[in-house]
Amino acid sequence: MPGSRTFQHIVRALDAFWEQEGCVIVQPYDIEMGAGTFHPATFFGALGPAPVRAAYVQPSRRPTDGRYGKNPLRMQRYYQYQVLLKPSPEDVQSRYLKSLRAVGLALDDHDLRFVQDDWESPTLGAWGLGWEVWLDSLEVTQFTYFQQVGGVDLDPISCEITYGLERIAMFVQGAADVYKLAYGPRTTYGDLHLANERESSAYNFEHADVALHQQLFASCEQDATRLLNAKLLLPAYEQLLKCSHTFNLLDARGAVSQSDRPRFILRIRGIAKRCAELYLERQAPETRDRGQGT
Amino acid sequence: MKRRTPVSRLLSPVSRATDLLLEIGTEELPAAYLPGLIEQLGREAATLLQAHHLPYERAESAGTPRRLVLIVRGLSATQRKPAEEVRGPSKQAAYDKDGKPTAALLGFLRAQGGSLAHTKVVSSERGDYVYLVKEPRATPASAVLPELLPQLIGRLRAPKTMRWDASGVRFARPIRWLLALYGTSALRCSLGTLQSASATRVGGPLRPRAVRVRSLEGYLRTLKQAGVALDQAQRRAWIEQAVGRIAGQARGAAAPEMVSHGLLDEVTHLVERPTPLAGRFDRTYLSLPREVLLASMAKYQRVFAVEAGGTLLPQFIAILEGPPRRPAEVRKVMERILNARLADSLLFWIEDHQRLPLQRMAEALSGVTFHERLGSMAEKTVRLRALAEPLAEAWQLTEEERAHLRRACQLAKADLVSTMVKEFPTLQGVIGKHYARDSEEPAPVAEAIEEQYLPAGNQRPRTLLGGALALLDKYDTLSSYFGLGIMPTGDQDPFGLRRAAQGIVEIAWTVHRPLPLGALFRTRTSMEPFRSVQPRAAATAGNQVQRYLLDRLDTFEWPTPAPAPDTIDAVLAGPCDDLVDVMDRIVTLQGLHNHPALRKAAKVIERTRNILRGAALRQPQVDPARLAEAPERQLWELYRAHEPRLAGLAQDKAYAEATTLFGEVFFEPLHRFFDQVMVNVPDEALQQNRLALMQAIQALYTDRIADLSKLTLLHHEEPAA
Repeated sequence: MPGSRTFQHIVRALDAFWEQEGCVIVQPYDIEMGAGTFHPATFFGALGPAPVRAAYVQPSRRPTDGRYGKNPLRMQRYYQYQVLLKPSPEDVQSRYLKSLRAVGLALDDHDLRFVQDDWESPTLGAWGLGWEVWLDSLEVTQFTYFQQVGGVDLDPISCEITYGLERIAMFVQGAADVYKLAYGPRTTYGDLHLANERESSAYNFEHADVALHQQLFASCEQDATRLLNAKLLLPAYEQLLKCSHTFNLLDARGAVSQSDRPRFILRIRGIAKRCAELYLERQAPETRDRGQGT
Repeated sequence: MKRRTPVSRLLSPVSRATDLLLEIGTEELPAAYLPGLIEQLGREAATLLQAHHLPYERAESAGTPRRLVLIVRGLSATQRKPAEEVRGPSKQAAYDKDGKPTAALLGFLRAQGGSLAHTKVVSSERGDYVYLVKEPRATPASAVLPELLPQLIGRLRAPKTMRWDASGVRFARPIRWLLALYGTSALRCSLGTLQSASATRVGGPLRPRAVRVRSLEGYLRTLKQAGVALDQAQRRAWIEQAVGRIAGQARGAAAPEMVSHGLLDEVTHLVERPTPLAGRFDRTYLSLPREVLLASMAKYQRVFAVEAGGTLLPQFIAILEGPPRRPAEVRKVMERILNARLADSLLFWIEDHQRLPLQRMAEALSGVTFHERLGSMAEKTVRLRALAEPLAEAWQLTEEERAHLRRACQLAKADLVSTMVKEFPTLQGVIGKHYARDSEEPAPVAEAIEEQYLPAGNQRPRTLLGGALALLDKYDTLSSYFGLGIMPTGDQDPFGLRRAAQGIVEIAWTVHRPLPLGALFRTRTSMEPFRSVQPRAAATAGNQVQRYLLDRLDTFEWPTPAPAPDTIDAVLAGPCDDLVDVMDRIVTLQGLHNHPALRKAAKVIERTRNILRGAALRQPQVDPARLAEAPERQLWELYRAHEPRLAGLAQDKAYAEATTLFGEVFFEPLHRFFDQVMVNVPDEALQQNRLALMQAIQALYTDRIADLSKLTLLHHEEPAA
């Protein structure tokens, strides 16, 4: 297997590694999102006292990062591999490095750095301290000790590891262009995604209907509030995800002015906060039961 | 882990001084925090050791991203507490008539566990009392330090801190090991869930290994062998040299901005085993402006740019963390990434150029908020244009200069809507300059746009219009926030108003043309947020802005000799409308500091002020017909003879000559006047006229230059005549 590690091999190797570490391998969430952090497994997983170990691939959409398939490093849709460990183990850094070796990365050939990154997601009311992990000056992972999610102080502290799968695969395969990555048997990453990068970049920057999305944002926001009032947690949270992605699209279309931006963010954060509170309220008795077992 | 302190040593009251080593092992600390943490570690250690009576020869602190290290040389083996004195009964109660100790004294000694031999009698206002002198127990340092060191760590502050486990300990990043060594003994400290051990860790994150440490020298040797450059100053010097050497091989030099803009400092604190590596990028990207190339290299990869004869070469120098097994591989990847980044920048550059001229970008500024209560950036540029008029007047700008300044105000913020500034916010102004040039705006307009954010670091605006725009922008910001009631307090200054005010003072001094604070503020109040408040509230804000600017003079970096605080106070008690004139007067008076003429002038002001202070002056002007005595008539004639000349000198800003003249003319005659004439006489008309004369003489100087009665030299002894 070494030397011929395809993209899908790498995903499988990470699954195997983190399964060994006691993680539940969950599946990608089926709604558009900007990062794996938005997946309920992380957003809700980080809240409350119960231990959690989860890992998964999450396709992530960043409409403003689209480059019509012309930039070998930037895309509007890519894959994150996300790990959440709660509480964060003492040797979490070395476990992470072990996982990189496990996917076939010859770390000793490279320059590895942990460069300060004060991570923050204003829309999720979440922040943490950690690093961008650099391999030869390319960010391949975001490594964060969460301090707050949904505006709630966390205890215990979770560690979030977010791998940029394409970039790691480029190192493993020695590829210079993401679209030339070997994805699987006789299939490149470009075969699967290049056409979509071109078309979606055009959609994000030129064709997305601004009025429609403004309407959509307002409707989803309203719906989230209605669903929260009805105590339907996940359905409400899904509306938040839709708000967040709609906002990102409007941003790529240049339809969000500097002064509108904070207002949009504040509106989404309001929902995130209420979701977190509802989750904790609901978890309280359940974790007490479970707490006795652990 | 193991405690090897021999018991005999713990008990020995006088053992020799020994070295202390504390290593706080962390996950990678932010480069920007390191200098502060290192400095605090040394300072707080000194404070704590002193507070705990542990003298030492020398304390040093150092650090890398993975460790903060304290080394205390010659630390006393025991605490040196001062003797404690406990007050007992009064002498009267303590001894009987025969001088024998009473039951009261013996009871006191028993309770305190002391003996008669250690008592003494101390006399005070409250009488004579017996005191017991208790020699403190000599607690060994090795018993105190395990408590002290965790306290020391707890005192270290960082801009942002975090928790990482259930212990609740907070620090900039997780602390993963502690090494505490006193001489050759490991100290057992605990911090949260962490126990100190007698090992350090080296090898970086990739090949970490623990190495047992038995002494300070052994520790330093271990680090050296592992390639760790512990001392940050040495590390910085080494990196600077290495970069220079490699650049020299390409017949170039490191781009000076990389040092001046802080990259060298940052890189110093990013690595502990600096290893240089040279690489190249595609020559095509040299078509991008120098500032963009430097920003991209510094921001994304923290690599140094190389130049020859002031022109960038398509090369870079990276500082890696330790030597990689395959440097060629690292180089290849780094080159590839830099090329991709620069390709992106070039794309932004081309995209922005499709949106030029800059005027078009300026039109989009109504969508960019300056502050939600102060409107958009478009509104700010309108204010800048209005404020430019009184400044142009005061600076006596030519018609052409005025036109350029107005244009620069209008376009100042246009680059904020460019993709390039969104990508590189630090290039605001710089990008504006390039786009102004590419839009065929006049050169002074482009330069002014670039210089509007100065001063920064040691850079000052170099062009007249750049100075003007930089000043107006800061003045608008300062007055806007003051108008909203937002002012810096203590260390709270979220909008950088203190820096803006300092910037105004610095620019004003550099440009050295009048800065009419009153005229500026009158223009400012015709606009928001002042238009919608009461005139009185607006006037108050105006005074606060003026006061705040004048207060910055205390921290201004004056040319030497730096003015004393009393000189500044004296001048600030005079006219304050023109900031630059205020500064000129301060410098001139400071220059006269030891000059007898200044003392004479000050004496005149002091004496007239003293006599006026005690009396109520109601008469506005001197009535020459009522001048009865010769000395007062003489003073009045001198006043009339010299008033025009003094006024003229002040007008021409010849403050030294004006001061000399004032002192020479009035000192002696005033002296005579006070000797021979009573001011406070029963005849009120006569008294008022004399007071009016005093007032006229004093105002001749204080209304134009300064209130010299505030000078401290008046309280010093008069030099021998």
